[in-house]
Amino acid sequence: MRDVTCDVLVVGSGAGGGAAAKELAPLARDGRRILVLESGPRLREDEYTGHELEMATKLYVDAGGFLTADGAMTLAFGRAYGGSTVVYTGTSLIIPQATVGRWAVPGLGWEDLAKRSRKYLAENNVHLLEEERLNANNTLFRDACERLGYRVEQFPINVKGCKGSSLCNLGCPNAAKQGTHRVQLPAAQAAGVEVVTNCTVERLGEREAIARVANPGFGEPSSWEPGEYRIRARAVVVAGGAVGSPALLLRSGFGRALPALGRYFTAHPALILVGEHERPINSFHGHPKSFYCDHFADSHGFLLETCMYFPFTTAKNLIGFGAEHAELMRRMDRMQMILVLAVDPALRENRVALGRSGEPVVHYRFTEEVLTSLLWSMRFSARIFFAAGARRVHAPACERFFVERDEIARIDELIARDRLKLGRNSITSAHLMGGCRMGASAADSVTDAWGRVHGVPWLFVADASLFPRASEINPYVTVMALADRVAERVRNVFTELPAA
Amino acid sequence: MAPVSPFDEDQWEFLFAVAARVAPPVTEFDPERRARFRAIISEALALRPPAVVGQIGMFLGVLDRAPALRYGRTFRALDPARQDAVLRWFQEAPLQKLRQGLWGVKTLVYMGTYAQTEIAPRLHYAPSFDGNVHLHA
Repeated sequence: MRDVTCDVLVVGSGAGGGAAAKELAPLARDGRRILVLESGPRLREDEYTGHELEMATKLYVDAGGFLTADGAMTLAFGRAYGGSTVVYTGTSLIIPQATVGRWAVPGLGWEDLAKRSRKYLAENNVHLLEEERLNANNTLFRDACERLGYRVEQFPINVKGCKGSSLCNLGCPNAAKQGTHRVQLPAAQAAGVEVVTNCTVERLGEREAIARVANPGFGEPSSWEPGEYRIRARAVVVAGGAVGSPALLLRSGFGRALPALGRYFTAHPALILVGEHERPINSFHGHPKSFYCDHFADSHGFLLETCMYFPFTTAKNLIGFGAEHAELMRRMDRMQMILVLAVDPALRENRVALGRSGEPVVHYRFTEEVLTSLLWSMRFSARIFFAAGARRVHAPACERFFVERDEIARIDELIARDRLKLGRNSITSAHLMGGCRMGASAADSVTDAWGRVHGVPWLFVADASLFPRASEINPYVTVMALADRVAERVRNVFTELPAA
Repeated sequence: MAPVSPFDEDQWEFLFAVAARVAPPVTEFDPERRARFRAIISEALALRPPAVVGQIGMFLGVLDRAPALRYGRTFRALDPARQDAVLRWFQEAPLQKLRQGLWGVKTLVYMGTYAQTEIAPRLHYAPSFDGNVHLHA
């Protein structure tokens, strides 16, 4: 085992780790050693091929198919230089004030989060796409929502030189998306922060981490030789995401003093819904995600977003099989897609735990309220598809494969609760939150409002696992804002911590 | 190096029988595409714990033999209409484990079928790195 000493160790390089790395760069400029360890690879530019399975395998944990313990939900989260910011669509929203109010974390105010969020909106070139850059999948959704009187807004996105490949979720092949792999990590490295890829932190000890470097056979090789390392640090910032961070802390024994560790996991359970048009709309050209509808967030507990997915992902999200399924799949050029996000409650029983080998296992129970939200989301989405001109709609909780246009009046009857069954319907999630929630006490939270783990002065968390409840919007900007706070706190208390 | 096959030949044969009902394009696959179907699934399952692969293998056995209780024949010996009826029963089964099992098998079939890049033209799926150029064409 090789020994390494640094001043601050950051575990993970996604929205949280990447932002923390950049905000800790002033320490590096002052001669301090800041290390970022990332378990995933850094792909070469020519490795972004847009091929679905190849990119999923290279950029996602379990190729994007990480299943909850009962197999009812698939969790998609990235593993790469830049973490999940490599594979999101770049939608950039400031968390609503009401949501932060519901979080009710003493010492965490919305104004502070909003101010820090605005910094990242500027840093990441966040803007609205021009009207001529919006594809039909998006404008059909917007126009239909407006026609129906549903509130609809355009997503600000963080792209620079977007060529509209539609392949955001497979890693932008044009280097346009301004994730931490394009903005914060290069800036941090330019200031002297070291980023080590293909390096998995297996457990933490007292101001140290045990990590292993193994190159996967693609991407740039790690800057460290393969093998096992012991890294000593004054401060450790864990930013491995809402599955990885709780699992690492649990493996390291912190669960004994922190009963909330791993718990209160939320996920915005999602459905991918499809309407079929008479004519091609070619949703695979242009940026895939330009609009969202939060009209039903308070009344029915769900959000709707535009989206465009790839053949295998689309196929597995359609319920049913056989000729009808194949017939719809043959018309990907005529597909309009909507992504549903249910706003799920933070339940103590929904949690990240450890399997026999120390691997993360996510236990998630769907409440009846969440299932009802998903049901209503299908009904309202069907109305949107038809208002957009679709000839028929595939609704996963319908007895038949298609709801036809002349059946609009029967939507609520045809899309029925008894057809929405766990294990039957594909439910996915890419917004993983909680597990190291912020709060006032170790009895029901893991960190304070500045991400510092209760009772462990050298240990911080800086990712979506801090969320005490769901963010109710796409979460990455909020993750960066929280990481900014954490980095500020680390800078402020750094000199009080004993040297490694 | 090619991954170890997760299934024996009989299981593969059965999976192709299921795939013919689940994803009809599979029936038109030439030997090379069938080999790719197997390779894609084998590579995906190579990343999964052996226990998960074992559960899938066990479920394939259940799916093949369960129809004997109702029809007196295995899945493979049924006509296509009855095969579809069996798949529909599993899809709507009262137990989540059974629904989950079919969902897992379907997911493998769709992966082996629709993750093949050659199928894109048949689906009229034609993304471009320069998608904006085609936006309002």
